[in-house]
Amino acid sequence: MTFQPYGAETLLLNFEQKIKKEINEQVIDLNKAILAAQLSGITYTIPAYCSLTIGYDRSVLSYETLSLLIEKIKAATFTKEAKSSNSLEDKHLIIPVCYEEAFGLDIAAVAKEKNCTLDEIIQLHTSTIYRVYMLGFLPGFAYMGRLPEDLACQRKQTPRLSIPPRSVGLAGYQTGIYPSAAPGGWQIIGQTPVPTFMPNQDTPFLFQAGDQVQFQAISKKDFFTISKDIDSNQFNWSNLYA
Amino acid sequence: MHNSSTLHFLKAGLWTTVQDKGRVGHQASGVPVSGAMDQTAAQLANWLVGNSEDHPVLEITLLGPSIQINHTVQIAITGANLSPMVNRTPIPMYETVAIKEGAILKFGRIQNGCRAYLSVGGEWMVQRWLGSASAATTSTAKLTPDSLIKKDSLLTIQATPFIEKRNSPPPPDYENSIVVNVLPGPEFDQFSSHTIAHFFSQTYTIANDSNRMGYRLLGKELSIESKQEVISSGIVVGTIQVSNAGQPILLMRDAQTTGGYPRIAVVLPEELDHLAQLKPGEAVRFCFIS
Repeated sequence: MTFQPYGAETLLLNFEQKIKKEINEQVIDLNKAILAAQLSGITYTIPAYCSLTIGYDRSVLSYETLSLLIEKIKAATFTKEAKSSNSLEDKHLIIPVCYEEAFGLDIAAVAKEKNCTLDEIIQLHTSTIYRVYMLGFLPGFAYMGRLPEDLACQRKQTPRLSIPPRSVGLAGYQTGIYPSAAPGGWQIIGQTPVPTFMPNQDTPFLFQAGDQVQFQAISKKDFFTISKDIDSNQFNWSNLYA
Repeated sequence: MHNSSTLHFLKAGLWTTVQDKGRVGHQASGVPVSGAMDQTAAQLANWLVGNSEDHPVLEITLLGPSIQINHTVQIAITGANLSPMVNRTPIPMYETVAIKEGAILKFGRIQNGCRAYLSVGGEWMVQRWLGSASAATTSTAKLTPDSLIKKDSLLTIQATPFIEKRNSPPPPDYENSIVVNVLPGPEFDQFSSHTIAHFFSQTYTIANDSNRMGYRLLGKELSIESKQEVISSGIVVGTIQVSNAGQPILLMRDAQTTGGYPRIAVVLPEELDHLAQLKPGEAVRFCFIS
Protein backbone atom coordinates (compact mmCIF):
# COMPACT_ATOMS: atom_id res chain seq x y z
CA MET A 1 0.00 0.00 0.00
CA THR A 2 1.41 3.41 -0.89
CA PHE A 3 0.72 6.78 0.73
CA GLN A 4 0.90 9.91 -1.39
CA PRO A 5 -0.34 13.47 -1.19
CA TYR A 6 -3.08 14.27 -3.72
CA GLY A 7 -3.26 18.04 -3.92
CA ALA A 8 -2.78 20.18 -0.83
CA GLU A 9 -5.38 18.66 1.48
CA THR A 10 -5.87 15.04 0.49
CA LEU A 11 -4.08 11.80 1.24
CA LEU A 12 -4.33 9.04 -1.36
CA LEU A 13 -3.78 5.43 -0.35
CA ASN A 14 -3.21 3.15 -3.29
CA PHE A 15 -3.59 -0.55 -2.65
CA GLU A 16 -2.42 -3.12 -5.17
CA GLN A 17 -3.92 -1.73 -8.40
CA LYS A 18 -6.26 -4.57 -9.30
CA ILE A 19 -10.02 -5.04 -9.27
CA LYS A 20 -10.17 -7.89 -6.79
CA LYS A 21 -12.53 -8.71 -3.95
CA GLU A 22 -9.73 -9.22 -1.40
CA ILE A 23 -8.14 -5.87 -2.20
CA ASN A 24 -11.45 -4.00 -2.12
CA GLU A 25 -12.23 -5.65 1.22
CA GLN A 26 -9.06 -4.14 2.63
CA VAL A 27 -10.07 -0.70 1.30
CA ILE A 28 -13.51 -0.96 2.90
CA ASP A 29 -12.24 -2.34 6.19
CA LEU A 30 -9.64 0.38 6.51
CA ASN A 31 -12.19 3.05 5.56
CA LYS A 32 -14.60 1.78 8.22
CA ALA A 33 -11.84 1.76 10.83
CA ILE A 34 -10.82 5.33 9.94
CA LEU A 35 -14.41 6.55 10.16
CA ALA A 36 -14.88 4.71 13.46
CA ALA A 37 -11.78 6.40 14.89
CA GLN A 38 -13.48 9.79 14.31
CA LEU A 39 -10.20 11.62 13.85
CA SER A 40 -10.76 15.34 13.95
CA GLY A 41 -9.67 17.06 10.78
CA ILE A 42 -10.78 14.35 8.35
CA THR A 43 -13.38 15.97 6.10
CA TYR A 44 -14.36 13.05 3.87
CA THR A 45 -13.19 9.72 2.50
CA ILE A 46 -13.76 8.11 -0.91
CA PRO A 47 -13.27 4.36 -0.92
CA ALA A 48 -12.88 3.02 -4.48
CA TYR A 49 -11.88 -0.28 -6.09
CA CYS A 50 -8.31 -0.33 -4.82
CA SER A 51 -7.73 3.13 -3.39
CA LEU A 52 -8.86 5.25 -0.51
CA THR A 53 -8.92 9.04 -0.84
CA ILE A 54 -8.90 10.93 2.46
CA GLY A 55 -9.64 14.66 2.61
CA TYR A 56 -8.36 16.62 5.60
CA ASP A 57 -8.44 20.11 7.00
CA ARG A 58 -4.95 21.59 6.77
CA SER A 59 -5.61 23.86 9.75
CA VAL A 60 -6.13 20.79 11.97
CA LEU A 61 -3.82 18.13 10.56
CA SER A 62 -0.63 17.97 8.54
CA TYR A 63 -0.06 15.36 5.85
CA GLU A 64 2.65 13.77 8.01
CA THR A 65 0.49 13.58 11.14
CA LEU A 66 -2.42 12.12 9.21
CA SER A 67 -0.15 9.53 7.56
CA LEU A 68 1.10 8.39 10.97
CA LEU A 69 -2.44 8.13 12.34
CA ILE A 70 -3.57 6.12 9.32
CA GLU A 71 -0.53 3.83 9.63
CA LYS A 72 -1.57 3.04 13.20
CA ILE A 73 -5.18 2.37 12.27
CA LYS A 74 -4.00 0.22 9.38
CA ALA A 75 -1.79 -1.88 11.66
CA ALA A 76 -4.68 -2.42 14.09
CA THR A 77 -7.19 -3.18 11.32
CA PHE A 78 -5.25 -5.85 9.53
CA THR A 79 -4.59 -8.07 12.51
CA LYS A 80 -6.38 -11.44 12.33
CA GLU A 81 -8.92 -10.84 15.11
CA ALA A 82 -10.02 -7.48 13.72
CA LYS A 83 -10.49 -8.94 10.26
CA SER A 84 -13.17 -11.47 11.13
CA SER A 85 -15.33 -9.03 13.08
CA ASN A 86 -15.24 -6.35 10.38
CA SER A 87 -16.48 -8.54 7.57
CA LEU A 88 -19.62 -9.42 9.53
CA GLU A 89 -20.90 -5.88 9.16
CA ASP A 90 -21.32 -6.11 5.40
CA LYS A 91 -24.94 -6.03 4.34
CA HIS A 92 -26.34 -8.68 2.05
CA LEU A 93 -29.19 -7.45 -0.14
CA ILE A 94 -31.54 -9.22 -2.49
CA ILE A 95 -32.82 -6.87 -5.19
CA PRO A 96 -35.91 -7.83 -7.24
CA VAL A 97 -35.54 -7.11 -10.94
CA CYS A 98 -38.02 -7.42 -13.76
CA TYR A 99 -36.10 -8.49 -16.87
CA GLU A 100 -39.06 -8.29 -19.26
CA GLU A 101 -38.29 -6.39 -22.43
CA ALA A 102 -40.45 -3.42 -21.47
CA PHE A 103 -37.77 -2.73 -18.82
CA GLY A 104 -34.76 -4.59 -20.19
CA LEU A 105 -34.27 -2.30 -23.16
CA ASP A 106 -31.09 -4.02 -24.30
CA ILE A 107 -31.58 -7.55 -22.99
CA ALA A 108 -32.44 -8.93 -26.43
CA ALA A 109 -29.38 -7.28 -27.96
CA VAL A 110 -27.15 -8.63 -25.18
CA ALA A 111 -28.61 -12.13 -25.63
CA LYS A 112 -27.91 -11.92 -29.34
CA GLU A 113 -24.36 -10.70 -28.82
CA LYS A 114 -23.75 -13.48 -26.31
CA ASN A 115 -25.49 -16.00 -28.50
CA CYS A 116 -27.81 -17.20 -25.76
CA THR A 117 -31.47 -16.97 -24.70
CA LEU A 118 -33.05 -14.28 -22.54
CA ASP A 119 -33.56 -16.87 -19.80
CA GLU A 120 -29.87 -17.69 -19.85
CA ILE A 121 -29.01 -14.01 -19.43
CA ILE A 122 -31.38 -13.78 -16.46
CA GLN A 123 -30.01 -17.00 -15.03
CA LEU A 124 -26.43 -15.72 -15.33
CA HIS A 125 -27.23 -12.33 -13.84
CA THR A 126 -29.17 -13.69 -10.85
CA SER A 127 -26.88 -16.58 -9.95
CA THR A 128 -23.91 -14.48 -8.89
CA ILE A 129 -23.46 -12.63 -5.62
CA TYR A 130 -21.97 -9.25 -6.49
CA ARG A 131 -19.89 -6.98 -4.39
CA VAL A 132 -20.42 -3.19 -4.24
CA TYR A 133 -16.87 -2.07 -4.99
CA MET A 134 -17.56 1.64 -4.82
CA LEU A 135 -20.08 4.41 -5.44
CA GLY A 136 -19.63 7.17 -7.97
CA PHE A 137 -20.89 8.64 -11.26
CA LEU A 138 -24.26 9.66 -9.73
CA PRO A 139 -25.39 10.02 -6.10
CA GLY A 140 -26.05 6.46 -4.97
CA PHE A 141 -24.70 4.72 -8.10
CA ALA A 142 -23.06 1.46 -6.95
CA TYR A 143 -20.45 -0.22 -9.12
CA MET A 144 -20.97 -3.96 -8.58
CA GLY A 145 -18.94 -6.87 -9.83
CA ARG A 146 -17.77 -9.05 -11.03
CA LEU A 147 -20.01 -10.27 -13.86
CA PRO A 148 -19.56 -13.85 -15.00
CA GLU A 149 -17.41 -14.00 -18.14
CA ASP A 150 -20.42 -14.91 -20.28
CA LEU A 151 -22.23 -11.68 -19.34
CA ALA A 152 -19.37 -9.23 -19.72
CA CYS A 153 -20.25 -6.78 -22.49
CA GLN A 154 -19.23 -3.53 -24.13
CA ARG A 155 -20.99 -0.28 -23.40
CA LYS A 156 -23.45 0.86 -26.06
CA GLN A 157 -21.93 2.55 -29.11
CA THR A 158 -24.12 5.58 -28.61
CA PRO A 159 -25.09 6.36 -25.01
CA ARG A 160 -28.78 6.94 -24.28
CA LEU A 161 -29.71 10.51 -23.47
CA SER A 162 -31.86 9.40 -20.57
CA ILE A 163 -31.96 6.05 -18.86
CA PRO A 164 -35.01 5.55 -16.62
CA PRO A 165 -34.33 5.52 -12.88
CA ARG A 166 -33.89 2.05 -11.27
CA SER A 167 -32.70 0.54 -14.58
CA VAL A 168 -30.24 -2.31 -14.15
CA GLY A 169 -27.31 -2.24 -16.56
CA LEU A 170 -24.15 -4.00 -17.60
CA ALA A 171 -20.80 -2.53 -18.68
CA GLY A 172 -17.59 -4.50 -18.97
CA TYR A 173 -17.46 -6.80 -15.95
CA GLN A 174 -19.68 -4.47 -13.93
CA THR A 175 -23.36 -4.27 -13.18
CA GLY A 176 -25.23 -1.40 -11.57
CA ILE A 177 -28.56 0.33 -10.99
CA TYR A 178 -29.26 3.89 -12.14
CA PRO A 179 -30.44 5.70 -8.97
CA SER A 180 -31.96 8.54 -10.98
CA ALA A 181 -32.61 9.28 -14.64
CA ALA A 182 -29.34 10.05 -16.39
CA PRO A 183 -27.62 9.75 -19.73
CA GLY A 184 -25.51 6.61 -19.98
CA GLY A 185 -24.02 3.90 -22.11
CA TRP A 186 -24.68 0.83 -20.00
CA GLN A 187 -26.62 -2.07 -21.56
CA ILE A 188 -29.98 -2.06 -19.80
CA ILE A 189 -31.26 -5.55 -19.01
CA GLY A 190 -34.03 -4.88 -16.49
CA GLN A 191 -35.46 -2.59 -13.84
CA THR A 192 -35.98 -2.89 -10.11
CA PRO A 193 -39.10 -1.45 -8.47
CA VAL A 194 -36.95 -0.59 -5.45
CA PRO A 195 -35.59 2.96 -5.28
CA THR A 196 -31.86 2.87 -4.48
CA PHE A 197 -31.79 6.61 -3.79
CA MET A 198 -34.33 8.12 -1.40
CA PRO A 199 -33.36 11.77 -1.07
CA ASN A 200 -35.67 12.57 1.80
CA GLN A 201 -34.67 9.69 4.06
CA ASP A 202 -32.06 9.96 6.79
CA THR A 203 -30.06 7.34 4.90
CA PRO A 204 -30.73 8.33 1.30
CA PHE A 205 -28.59 5.61 -0.28
CA LEU A 206 -29.52 1.93 -0.29
CA PHE A 207 -25.97 0.76 -1.01
CA GLN A 208 -22.57 1.39 0.39
CA ALA A 209 -19.21 0.04 -0.66
CA GLY A 210 -18.71 -3.46 0.70
CA ASP A 211 -22.34 -4.59 0.43
CA GLN A 212 -23.17 -7.96 -1.15
CA VAL A 213 -25.95 -7.91 -3.70
CA GLN A 214 -27.87 -10.65 -5.47
CA PHE A 215 -30.60 -10.02 -8.03
CA GLN A 216 -33.85 -11.93 -8.09
CA ALA A 217 -36.03 -12.17 -11.21
CA ILE A 218 -39.63 -11.05 -10.76
CA SER A 219 -42.64 -10.82 -13.06
CA LYS A 220 -44.17 -7.60 -14.30
CA LYS A 221 -47.07 -8.22 -11.92
CA ASP A 222 -44.71 -8.46 -8.92
CA PHE A 223 -42.90 -5.36 -10.17
CA PHE A 224 -46.10 -3.32 -10.02
CA THR A 225 -47.15 -4.84 -6.68
CA ILE A 226 -43.82 -3.85 -5.11
CA SER A 227 -43.96 -0.39 -6.72
CA LYS A 228 -47.43 0.13 -5.30
CA ASP A 229 -46.36 -1.08 -1.85
CA ILE A 230 -43.39 1.29 -1.87
CA ASP A 231 -45.54 4.24 -2.95
CA SER A 232 -48.09 3.56 -0.21
CA ASN A 233 -45.45 2.85 2.46
CA GLN A 234 -46.63 -0.77 2.75
CA PHE A 235 -43.36 -2.24 1.55
CA ASN A 236 -41.44 -4.34 4.02
CA TRP A 237 -37.88 -3.13 3.49
CA SER A 238 -36.47 -6.01 5.53
CA ASN A 239 -37.44 -8.27 2.59
CA LEU A 240 -34.40 -6.87 0.82
CA TYR A 241 -31.99 -8.20 3.40
CA ALA A 242 -30.90 -11.82 3.48
CA MET B 1 -39.01 43.69 11.64
CA HIS B 2 -39.81 40.23 10.50
CA ASN B 3 -41.27 40.69 7.08
CA SER B 4 -40.47 38.45 4.24
CA SER B 5 -39.46 39.61 0.80
CA THR B 6 -39.90 37.73 -2.43
CA LEU B 7 -37.55 37.89 -5.35
CA HIS B 8 -39.44 37.33 -8.58
CA PHE B 9 -37.19 36.36 -11.49
CA LEU B 10 -38.56 38.08 -14.59
CA LYS B 11 -35.59 36.61 -16.47
CA ALA B 12 -33.41 33.79 -15.25
CA GLY B 13 -30.12 34.82 -16.85
CA LEU B 14 -27.78 32.31 -18.49
CA TRP B 15 -27.14 30.03 -15.52
CA THR B 16 -28.26 31.30 -12.14
CA THR B 17 -28.15 28.97 -9.15
CA VAL B 18 -28.37 29.11 -5.39
CA GLN B 19 -25.03 28.09 -3.88
CA ASP B 20 -23.42 27.92 -0.46
CA LYS B 21 -20.36 26.06 0.83
CA GLY B 22 -21.61 22.82 -0.73
CA ARG B 23 -21.98 19.35 0.74
CA VAL B 24 -18.56 18.02 1.66
CA GLY B 25 -18.58 14.57 3.26
CA HIS B 26 -20.90 12.62 0.97
CA GLN B 27 -18.43 11.83 -1.81
CA ALA B 28 -18.34 8.17 -0.71
CA SER B 29 -21.98 7.95 -1.84
CA GLY B 30 -21.22 9.62 -5.17
CA VAL B 31 -22.46 13.09 -4.22
CA PRO B 32 -20.43 15.94 -5.78
CA VAL B 33 -19.18 18.69 -3.46
CA SER B 34 -20.86 21.60 -5.33
CA GLY B 35 -21.06 25.04 -3.69
CA ALA B 36 -20.12 28.52 -4.94
CA MET B 37 -17.31 28.35 -7.52
CA ASP B 38 -15.72 31.53 -6.09
CA GLN B 39 -15.99 30.93 -2.35
CA THR B 40 -14.14 34.12 -1.39
CA ALA B 41 -16.57 36.29 -3.34
CA ALA B 42 -19.61 34.38 -2.01
CA GLN B 43 -18.49 34.68 1.61
CA LEU B 44 -17.74 38.36 1.20
CA ALA B 45 -21.19 38.98 -0.28
CA ASN B 46 -22.71 37.34 2.77
CA TRP B 47 -20.63 39.42 5.17
CA LEU B 48 -21.68 42.63 3.42
CA VAL B 49 -25.34 41.97 4.30
CA GLY B 50 -24.74 40.46 7.74
CA ASN B 51 -25.37 36.82 6.78
CA SER B 52 -23.15 34.00 8.00
CA GLU B 53 -20.47 32.99 5.51
CA ASP B 54 -22.05 29.63 4.70
CA HIS B 55 -25.41 31.22 3.87
CA PRO B 56 -26.83 30.68 0.37
CA VAL B 57 -26.15 33.27 -2.32
CA LEU B 58 -27.07 33.50 -5.98
CA GLU B 59 -24.31 32.55 -8.38
CA ILE B 60 -24.85 34.48 -11.60
CA THR B 61 -22.98 33.40 -14.71
CA LEU B 62 -22.08 35.83 -17.54
CA LEU B 63 -25.61 36.98 -18.29
CA GLY B 64 -27.53 38.17 -15.26
CA PRO B 65 -31.16 37.70 -14.31
CA SER B 66 -33.82 40.36 -13.98
CA ILE B 67 -35.33 40.37 -10.51
CA GLN B 68 -38.32 42.20 -9.10
CA ILE B 69 -38.10 42.67 -5.37
CA ASN B 70 -41.39 43.03 -3.55
CA HIS B 71 -40.18 44.33 -0.21
CA THR B 72 -37.23 46.47 0.86
CA VAL B 73 -34.08 44.38 1.34
CA GLN B 74 -30.36 44.79 1.80
CA ILE B 75 -28.24 43.20 -0.90
CA ALA B 76 -24.60 43.05 -1.93
CA ILE B 77 -22.92 41.98 -5.16
CA THR B 78 -19.37 40.68 -5.44
CA GLY B 79 -17.34 38.72 -7.98
CA ALA B 80 -17.67 39.39 -11.69
CA ASN B 81 -18.74 42.86 -12.72
CA LEU B 82 -21.87 42.30 -14.80
CA SER B 83 -22.97 45.96 -14.61
CA PRO B 84 -25.64 45.61 -11.92
CA MET B 85 -28.37 48.25 -11.94
CA VAL B 86 -31.59 49.05 -10.14
CA ASN B 87 -34.35 50.57 -12.23
CA ARG B 88 -31.68 51.23 -14.88
CA THR B 89 -29.38 53.14 -12.52
CA PRO B 90 -25.98 51.49 -11.92
CA ILE B 91 -25.40 50.36 -8.35
CA PRO B 92 -22.08 49.82 -6.61
CA MET B 93 -20.60 46.41 -5.93
CA TYR B 94 -18.73 45.42 -2.76
CA GLU B 95 -21.02 47.31 -0.43
CA THR B 96 -24.38 46.96 1.30
CA VAL B 97 -27.12 48.35 -0.93
CA ALA B 98 -30.74 48.87 0.12
CA ILE B 99 -33.25 47.97 -2.58
CA LYS B 100 -36.67 49.53 -2.29
CA GLU B 101 -39.93 47.70 -2.56
CA GLY B 102 -40.96 47.06 -6.17
CA ALA B 103 -37.54 47.82 -7.64
CA ILE B 104 -36.10 45.78 -10.48
CA LEU B 105 -32.51 44.56 -10.21
CA LYS B 106 -30.90 43.87 -13.57
CA PHE B 107 -27.50 43.21 -15.05
CA GLY B 108 -25.90 44.49 -18.22
CA ARG B 109 -22.59 44.23 -20.00
CA ILE B 110 -19.85 41.94 -18.65
CA GLN B 111 -17.03 44.22 -17.56
CA ASN B 112 -14.81 41.52 -16.12
CA GLY B 113 -14.92 38.08 -14.53
CA CYS B 114 -17.41 35.29 -15.13
CA ARG B 115 -19.47 34.73 -11.96
CA ALA B 116 -21.16 37.35 -9.79
CA TYR B 117 -22.54 36.66 -6.33
CA LEU B 118 -25.70 38.26 -5.02
CA SER B 119 -26.44 38.08 -1.32
CA VAL B 120 -29.67 39.22 0.30
CA GLY B 121 -29.82 39.85 4.05
CA GLY B 122 -32.07 37.38 5.87
CA GLU B 123 -33.04 33.74 6.02
CA TRP B 124 -33.51 32.14 2.59
CA MET B 125 -36.54 29.86 2.37
CA VAL B 126 -34.99 27.28 0.06
CA GLN B 127 -35.01 23.52 0.24
CA ARG B 128 -31.75 21.98 1.40
CA TRP B 129 -30.42 18.53 0.64
CA LEU B 130 -27.73 16.90 2.76
CA GLY B 131 -27.30 20.15 4.62
CA SER B 132 -26.74 22.37 1.60
CA ALA B 133 -28.92 24.58 -0.60
CA SER B 134 -26.47 24.31 -3.53
CA ALA B 135 -28.17 23.20 -6.73
CA ALA B 136 -27.81 19.43 -6.91
CA THR B 137 -26.17 18.23 -10.12
CA THR B 138 -28.66 15.40 -10.65
CA SER B 139 -32.40 15.36 -9.95
CA THR B 140 -32.13 19.08 -9.27
CA ALA B 141 -35.86 19.61 -9.57
CA LYS B 142 -36.52 17.00 -6.90
CA LEU B 143 -33.61 17.57 -4.52
CA THR B 144 -33.15 21.33 -4.62
CA PRO B 145 -36.20 22.65 -6.48
CA ASP B 146 -35.60 26.27 -5.48
CA SER B 147 -31.92 26.37 -6.36
CA LEU B 148 -31.98 26.32 -10.13
CA ILE B 149 -33.42 29.68 -11.14
CA LYS B 150 -35.86 29.71 -14.03
CA LYS B 151 -38.08 32.41 -15.47
CA ASP B 152 -40.76 33.22 -12.87
CA SER B 153 -38.94 31.46 -10.04
CA LEU B 154 -39.78 32.93 -6.66
CA LEU B 155 -37.31 33.13 -3.82
CA THR B 156 -38.58 34.08 -0.39
CA ILE B 157 -36.34 35.68 2.15
CA GLN B 158 -37.28 36.12 5.77
CA ALA B 159 -35.85 39.54 6.57
CA THR B 160 -33.55 40.05 9.54
CA PRO B 161 -32.98 43.52 11.05
CA PHE B 162 -31.01 45.75 8.70
CA ILE B 163 -27.35 46.15 9.44
CA GLU B 164 -25.29 49.28 9.24
CA LYS B 165 -23.88 49.67 5.76
CA ARG B 166 -20.65 47.75 5.16
CA ASN B 167 -18.14 47.90 2.36
CA SER B 168 -14.96 46.22 1.36
CA PRO B 169 -12.30 47.18 -1.15
CA PRO B 170 -12.99 45.40 -4.44
CA PRO B 171 -10.28 43.00 -5.58
CA PRO B 172 -8.19 44.02 -8.61
CA ASP B 173 -9.99 43.46 -11.92
CA TYR B 174 -9.96 39.84 -13.00
CA GLU B 175 -7.36 39.10 -15.67
CA ASN B 176 -8.31 37.26 -18.85
CA SER B 177 -5.13 35.21 -18.72
CA ILE B 178 -3.88 33.74 -15.47
CA VAL B 179 -1.14 31.52 -14.11
CA VAL B 180 -2.27 28.89 -11.63
CA ASN B 181 -0.11 27.00 -9.14
CA VAL B 182 -0.44 23.23 -9.18
CA LEU B 183 0.92 20.21 -7.35
CA PRO B 184 1.69 16.93 -9.09
CA GLY B 185 -1.31 14.66 -9.54
CA PRO B 186 -1.39 11.01 -8.44
CA GLU B 187 -0.40 9.74 -11.91
CA PHE B 188 2.17 12.48 -12.57
CA ASP B 189 4.98 9.90 -12.80
CA GLN B 190 3.16 7.98 -15.52
CA PHE B 191 3.54 10.88 -17.95
CA SER B 192 6.80 11.23 -19.87
CA SER B 193 9.03 14.20 -19.14
CA HIS B 194 8.26 15.37 -22.66
CA THR B 195 4.50 15.38 -21.98
CA ILE B 196 4.98 17.12 -18.65
CA ALA B 197 7.16 19.80 -20.23
CA HIS B 198 4.53 20.22 -22.93
CA PHE B 199 1.73 20.58 -20.35
CA PHE B 200 3.55 23.28 -18.40
CA SER B 201 4.74 25.27 -21.39
CA GLN B 202 1.33 25.62 -23.04
CA THR B 203 -1.20 28.34 -22.59
CA TYR B 204 -4.61 26.70 -22.53
CA THR B 205 -7.90 28.23 -23.60
CA ILE B 206 -11.08 27.51 -21.63
CA ALA B 207 -13.47 25.71 -24.01
CA ASN B 208 -16.97 27.04 -24.63
CA ASP B 209 -18.65 23.95 -23.23
CA SER B 210 -16.89 24.32 -19.88
CA ASN B 211 -19.16 24.45 -16.86
CA ARG B 212 -19.33 23.92 -13.11
CA MET B 213 -18.39 20.25 -13.56
CA GLY B 214 -15.24 20.87 -15.49
CA TYR B 215 -13.26 23.13 -17.79
CA ARG B 216 -12.05 21.56 -20.99
CA LEU B 217 -8.64 22.99 -21.74
CA LEU B 218 -7.95 23.64 -25.41
CA GLY B 219 -4.38 23.41 -26.66
CA LYS B 220 -2.17 21.11 -28.62
CA GLU B 221 -2.94 17.52 -27.57
CA LEU B 222 -0.59 15.91 -25.09
CA SER B 223 0.94 12.71 -26.35
CA ILE B 224 -0.15 9.85 -24.16
CA GLU B 225 2.46 7.13 -24.64
CA SER B 226 1.36 4.47 -22.21
CA LYS B 227 -2.29 3.56 -22.42
CA GLN B 228 -2.10 2.28 -18.88
CA GLU B 229 -5.63 2.37 -17.58
CA VAL B 230 -6.30 3.94 -14.22
CA ILE B 231 -8.77 1.99 -12.10
CA SER B 232 -11.52 4.41 -11.05
CA SER B 233 -10.46 6.28 -7.96
CA GLY B 234 -11.60 9.24 -5.86
CA ILE B 235 -11.56 12.72 -7.40
CA VAL B 236 -10.66 15.95 -5.63
CA VAL B 237 -11.99 19.29 -6.90
CA GLY B 238 -9.19 21.01 -8.82
CA THR B 239 -7.79 17.82 -10.36
CA ILE B 240 -6.53 18.05 -13.94
CA GLN B 241 -7.11 14.76 -15.69
CA VAL B 242 -5.99 13.94 -19.22
CA SER B 243 -8.40 12.20 -21.58
CA ASN B 244 -7.32 9.45 -23.96
CA ALA B 245 -7.28 12.05 -26.72
CA GLY B 246 -4.65 14.01 -24.77
CA GLN B 247 -6.97 16.79 -23.71
CA PRO B 248 -6.69 18.06 -20.14
CA ILE B 249 -9.90 18.59 -18.18
CA LEU B 250 -9.87 20.66 -15.01
CA LEU B 251 -12.48 19.29 -12.63
CA MET B 252 -14.50 21.93 -10.80
CA ARG B 253 -16.95 21.88 -7.91
CA ASP B 254 -19.76 19.86 -9.54
CA ALA B 255 -17.35 17.15 -10.74
CA GLN B 256 -18.13 13.49 -10.29
CA THR B 257 -16.57 11.96 -7.20
CA THR B 258 -14.64 9.22 -8.99
CA GLY B 259 -12.85 9.00 -12.30
CA GLY B 260 -10.56 6.81 -14.35
CA TYR B 261 -8.36 9.17 -16.38
CA PRO B 262 -4.75 9.77 -15.35
CA ARG B 263 -4.41 12.85 -13.16
CA ILE B 264 -1.44 14.96 -14.16
CA ALA B 265 -1.84 17.79 -11.64
CA VAL B 266 -4.01 19.29 -8.92
CA VAL B 267 -4.50 23.04 -8.54
CA LEU B 268 -3.97 24.55 -5.10
CA PRO B 269 -7.32 25.02 -3.31
CA GLU B 270 -6.91 28.81 -3.16
CA GLU B 271 -6.62 28.95 -6.97
CA LEU B 272 -10.15 27.62 -7.50
CA ASP B 273 -11.65 31.05 -6.82
CA HIS B 274 -9.46 32.63 -9.52
CA LEU B 275 -10.37 29.89 -11.98
CA ALA B 276 -14.07 30.49 -11.24
CA GLN B 277 -13.73 33.96 -12.78
CA LEU B 278 -12.24 32.79 -16.10
CA LYS B 279 -14.64 32.93 -19.01
CA PRO B 280 -14.71 30.50 -21.92
CA GLY B 281 -12.13 31.73 -24.43
CA GLU B 282 -9.82 33.06 -21.74
CA ALA B 283 -6.43 31.62 -20.96
CA VAL B 284 -4.63 29.71 -18.23
CA ARG B 285 -1.12 28.46 -17.76
CA PHE B 286 0.03 26.10 -15.01
CA CYS B 287 3.02 26.55 -12.79
CA PHE B 288 4.52 23.68 -10.83
CA ILE B 289 5.01 24.08 -7.07
CA SER B 290 7.23 21.29 -5.79
